[in-house]
Amino acid sequence: MVVRAILVALIATCSTWWFSHVITRTWLYPIWSGFLVGIVMGKPMEGMMLAAAINLPYVGFITAGGSMPGNAMFAGSVGTALGLVSGLDMTTATTIGVILGSVAVMIWNAYMSINSIWVHMADKFAAKGNLKMIRFCNYVPSFFVSLILNGVPAFLIVMKGAVVGDWLAACPQWVIDGFAMVGGILPALGVGMLLNFLGQKKILPFFFLGFFLAQFLGLSTMAITIFGAIIAFIIYLFGKDKEKEAA
Amino acid sequence: MAQLRKSDLVKNWLLGYSSETCYNYERLQALGNANAFIPIIKRLYKEDQYAEEISKYMNFFNTEPSYMGTVIHGITAAMEEKRANDGDITADEILSVRSALMGPLAGIGDVVSQSIVYPILAGVCIQLALAGNYAGPILFEVIYKVIMLTLGYNMYMMGYRKGKSAIISFLKTGLLNKILELVSIVGLMVIGSMAVNNISFNFSLIGWEVTNEIGSVAFNLQTTVFDALLPGMVPLALVLGVWGLLKKRVKPTVIILLMFVLAFATIGLAALCGAY
Repeated sequence: MVVRAILVALIATCSTWWFSHVITRTWLYPIWSGFLVGIVMGKPMEGMMLAAAINLPYVGFITAGGSMPGNAMFAGSVGTALGLVSGLDMTTATTIGVILGSVAVMIWNAYMSINSIWVHMADKFAAKGNLKMIRFCNYVPSFFVSLILNGVPAFLIVMKGAVVGDWLAACPQWVIDGFAMVGGILPALGVGMLLNFLGQKKILPFFFLGFFLAQFLGLSTMAITIFGAIIAFIIYLFGKDKEKEAA
Repeated sequence: MAQLRKSDLVKNWLLGYSSETCYNYERLQALGNANAFIPIIKRLYKEDQYAEEISKYMNFFNTEPSYMGTVIHGITAAMEEKRANDGDITADEILSVRSALMGPLAGIGDVVSQSIVYPILAGVCIQLALAGNYAGPILFEVIYKVIMLTLGYNMYMMGYRKGKSAIISFLKTGLLNKILELVSIVGLMVIGSMAVNNISFNFSLIGWEVTNEIGSVAFNLQTTVFDALLPGMVPLALVLGVWGLLKKRVKPTVIILLMFVLAFATIGLAALCGAY
C-alpha cells in the first residue's frame, strides 16, 4: 500500500508540476490523471469510472493566465484515490471531487505564489549567464513545492482515506441521498460553462439539436458527434459555394 | 555565420512545453521561456553574451504554450538568428514582437485547446469511460496529444519560416475563426447530448398519494408534471439556469453552493412528503 500511495502522490504532484506538457498536458484532466491513479492502485476499471464521473463538472474547465475556477488536477488525482479507498459510488464521487477541487484552489494559489521565489533566484543566474542554473530553477524547486502541496495530501488520502467512507456510512440516509443528488446536478455546471463559451447566437440551435437528438431518439454521444461533424462539413461546403457566387 | 540547425529548432519547440513547469503569478511563463531558449542562445552567441541574451526571456510572458502559441517561439528563433548574424535587430524589437503576439495567440490557443478540443474529446470519452470501456481515457490521451503536437510543431515551423507578418495576415483572414465556428457546432451538439446523459437530477422523490371514498390519486412532481410536459425538461432548465448565472458573472463556486442548496431543499421537500 505504501508503494501505491507513493505512486499516487507522484501522479498528484505531476498533475500540477507540469514538467513537460508533451506528457503532463492531459494530466490536468481527471479522466486521464484519475485513470492513471486507478492503474497504480490496481483498480483500473473502478478508477476509470470514478475519474470520468469526477471529470463531468470540469468539462467547461478553462484556465487562463493562471486563474482557475476549481482545482481539477487535485480533484482528479486525489478524488479518484479517495473514491477508491473509501468505496464511493460514481455520483457521490462527483460531489466529493468538486468539494476537493473547490477547496484545493487554495493549493493552486499557494503553488503559483511560492513559485515566484524561484524566478527571482533565476534572475541572479541569468545576470551571470549561468544557463545551467536557469534550467535548474525552472525544473527542480517547483517539483518540491508541488510534492508538499499535492503529493503529501494524496499520500495521506491513500493511507488514511478509508475513514471518509466510514463517515459517509455513518451519516443519516438523507445526507447520503443529498450528496448523491448534488452529484447528479453538478454536471450541469460543466455543460453550462461550455455553453457560455461556445454559445454564440448564430450556432446556439445546435445545442438544442444535440439535446433533443439524445433525449427523443436516444442517440449516443459518439453518434451525435458524427452527425455534428457531418452538419459542420455541409455548412462548410455551402459556404464555399456562396463565396464562389459572390466572387 | 551562426546558423540554427533543425535539431536546435526541435529542442526549442519541445522545451517550450516546459513553459509552465515553474508557473507563477509574478511572471507566469517567463522562466520556462528562458529555459526553452537555452539551445538557441548556445548556438548563436558566445559565452560572454549569454547573460544579456537570456535575460530578455526573463520578462513577463504568458500565452497558450501547447497548440498555437508555439508560433511565437518560432518567430523569435528566426529573429534571434538574424540578430546574431546582422545585428540589426535589437533585443527590444524581439521583446515587443513577443508581447504583441502573446495576447492574441493566448486567446485563439485557449479557444482551440480548452473550449473545442478538450470538451468534445472529453464529452465522448467520458461516456465511454462511464460505460466501462477502456477506450475512453486511452482515446482521450492519444487524440489530444496527436492534435496538440501536430498543431504545435507546424505552428512553430510556420513562425520560424514565415515570420511575424505571415502570422498576422493569416490571423486577419478570418479563416481560423470560420473553422473554429464550424467545430463549435460539433461541440455544442456534444454538450447538448451531455445534458441528457450526465445530469441525473429529478423530482421523483416528491410525491404523495391521496385516498378518499372515490379512489386513490397518486401525485408525483416528476412523472405527473415534468415528464408529462417535456421529458428532459429539468436537466435543460438546470443547464440554462447555470448559463444565465454565468452570464451575470456569478462565480462557479457560488453556483456549486446553489446546487447543494437545490439538492438539500429537494431532500427537505421529499422528507415533508414522508420519504424519510
